[in-house]
Amino acid sequence: MNRREAIKNTALFGGASILTGSLFSILQSCKSEPRLSWQPSFLKADQAQLISALVDTVLPKTATPGGLDMKVDIFMDTVFAKLYNAEGQKALLADMAQFDDRCKSKFSKPFAELDKAQRTEFLKTEEASSPKYNGKVWGTAVGEQKPVGFYRSMKSLMLWGYFSSEEVGLKVLNYDPVPGDYLGCVPMKEVGRVWSL
Amino acid sequence: MPNFNIDAKKDMTYDAIVIGSGMSGGWAAKELCEAGLKTLVLERGRMVEHVKDYPTMNNESWNLELRGAIGPEDQKKHFKAVRSGFVGENNKHFFANDEENPYTEVKPFLWIRAHQMGGRSLLWGKQTYRWSELDFEANAKDGHGVDWPIRYKDLEPWYTHVEKYAGISGEALGLPQLPDSHFLPPMEMNCVEKEVKQRLEKEFPGRNLIIGRVAHLTVEHNGRGKCQFRNRCDRGCPFGAYFSSNAVTLPAANATGNLTMRPFSIVQSIVYDEKKGSATGVKVIDSESGEMFEYNAKIIFCNASTLSTTQIMLNSTSSRFPNGLGNDSGELGHNLMDHTYRVGAMGSYEGFEDMYYKGRRPNGIYIPRYWNIDEKTKSDKFVRGFGFQGGASRPGWGAGANMDGFGEEFKDSLITNPGPWEFFITGFAECLPYHENKVTLDTQNLDKWKQPTLAIDAEYKANELALNKQIQEDALEMLEKCGIKNIVGFDNKHEMGYGIHEMGTARMGRDPKTSVLNATNQVHTCKNVFVTDGACMTSNSCVNPSLTYMALTARAANHAISELKKGNL
Repeated sequence: MNRREAIKNTALFGGASILTGSLFSILQSCKSEPRLSWQPSFLKADQAQLISALVDTVLPKTATPGGLDMKVDIFMDTVFAKLYNAEGQKALLADMAQFDDRCKSKFSKPFAELDKAQRTEFLKTEEASSPKYNGKVWGTAVGEQKPVGFYRSMKSLMLWGYFSSEEVGLKVLNYDPVPGDYLGCVPMKEVGRVWSL
Repeated sequence: MPNFNIDAKKDMTYDAIVIGSGMSGGWAAKELCEAGLKTLVLERGRMVEHVKDYPTMNNESWNLELRGAIGPEDQKKHFKAVRSGFVGENNKHFFANDEENPYTEVKPFLWIRAHQMGGRSLLWGKQTYRWSELDFEANAKDGHGVDWPIRYKDLEPWYTHVEKYAGISGEALGLPQLPDSHFLPPMEMNCVEKEVKQRLEKEFPGRNLIIGRVAHLTVEHNGRGKCQFRNRCDRGCPFGAYFSSNAVTLPAANATGNLTMRPFSIVQSIVYDEKKGSATGVKVIDSESGEMFEYNAKIIFCNASTLSTTQIMLNSTSSRFPNGLGNDSGELGHNLMDHTYRVGAMGSYEGFEDMYYKGRRPNGIYIPRYWNIDEKTKSDKFVRGFGFQGGASRPGWGAGANMDGFGEEFKDSLITNPGPWEFFITGFAECLPYHENKVTLDTQNLDKWKQPTLAIDAEYKANELALNKQIQEDALEMLEKCGIKNIVGFDNKHEMGYGIHEMGTARMGRDPKTSVLNATNQVHTCKNVFVTDGACMTSNSCVNPSLTYMALTARAANHAISELKKGNL
């Protein structure tokens, strides 16, 4: 088998299948919701707002495009709708609700309504308590993977969505579709940026 | 190149029939056609013509809704193969439909199939190593299995023959346990691999770290283009830079005008003629129409892949062979082997942060076997040995999910910093041939063509587990002494099949009472039937097997041609 292309493939799917969580009833506040500019196919409006807020916090616009510019939130909704099975979808929603519940108990507001400093504070706590992904060799994770939780799995998924998007893949990263040769030791400053593919 | 002749209805009689068009079947077709034999290649899957039928070869992730991942429907269709982690949107069409092709796992066994012209030669890893005298002598020396009826010298000219045509890149080192091929220039190692090589060879005299030997062209060769380092091989290569039946052997066979291909052709059985004492042809089910045909030929080559070949032979019963064609010994279906998989270690290398690489190399490093190669390296814990594959790379943005941080700086660092160098090695250990590791016909569970399926009942035993234990210990020790940090050892305890190197079940041997095939891959008791895919293997070495299938096939085909000329077949 082409064991080496698989490295690349599965690095991308990091967050897709490892979501767990108990079922929770989802009670969400419906007031003062910012209007979504897109129609989610899986998420409800408040859930989509949470995802958009997360994407904007982790991958904000700088000199390079932000996650929302690359429609990473829309891509994530597509992944939930089409890549997750029913069990994965259920677990995702439960994890998402717990995430926002923790947020509400701390700030009395859902994540989407926090200001930037509050979002940063909250994500730092979430990050500190989330296990990391095991290494992978040719498509399979090594050892037994502990659940990484909502925040890290979403982070993995949004990085995939961002860096595999057209503008980032072609223009932000170093795009070289047909390298022609393999050069094993090239000064980083000659390459400049991380390879796209 | 002229189109393939797929009009097999015109003619029901050929000089030769080749069952299967993958790694070994392509070679059988090429050798037989070039000798002037009218040859029919039967393929149970669809046609896949080189380049023309590689629809995803230039896909970029952003062209695909799920960016290369497959959804629940495809996951279900490939529910066996997805266990390997290899199936994605860009290669899924080269994996067989697991729902339509059931098999029973009496014990867990991953059987990856590729039902199309070219078979798994489109998907293979291209690691290409000669076996050594050590491998051919192994059974005789330690008493496991039966003795190989051939030795290295018998196969050496045929290794040369196939290597010169296929094109193998690598570095000649003169290691007795890993004989050199005829090499095209080697691929390059990166900074960290070179550094680890130096330290490893100094710390562990007798061990070598080499660039993988691969069936990728590093220079133009026989009209095929060189590797462009896209690492998109398993979509089909538009440059024809890696060896596949589609790019190499089948076009060569076709160019002779002697080849007929019949896709959608499931071989149901080989027809044995009691009076003649030989096979007269094969029964074929058209997978689309369900119709059954019989094709006739003077010789038949079985190259359906290890387990499929044995399935056909077990299903080829007659009053002479009530238990399957050529199965007087009772060994048909037995002695199934694979290489152990996913035991090793990984870690990071601190240094060379200012160095990177260019190109996506479809290859890594290899550490050849160093246990049990002479008296000095003899283990008291296990027989045989293992080799490692591995490599160093920088993760790029893939490191981001595990990194702390988010926001402006975090995002920009993933664009400008490729992350720490990572290095890993993972072992492949030899598996002994055990009679009780077997496949049988399952007549209770029929497939959609009403044919018996296979039940696979095999597992690793004490020797393989002892090898895996040593792999783990050695991997940790080598990484530590080579300056790798944050070392994590792993043993995924994968069952058989994950190595995708299934071998045995119709073994070669000297004695018809204990083996199925003779020294030239002929069924002992039905000499015009040849088996030259993985089924024929008497032991399984620890190196990747494809090159040995190619050499055995070319050798057997040329024996068949010479026997036909002499009137012996």
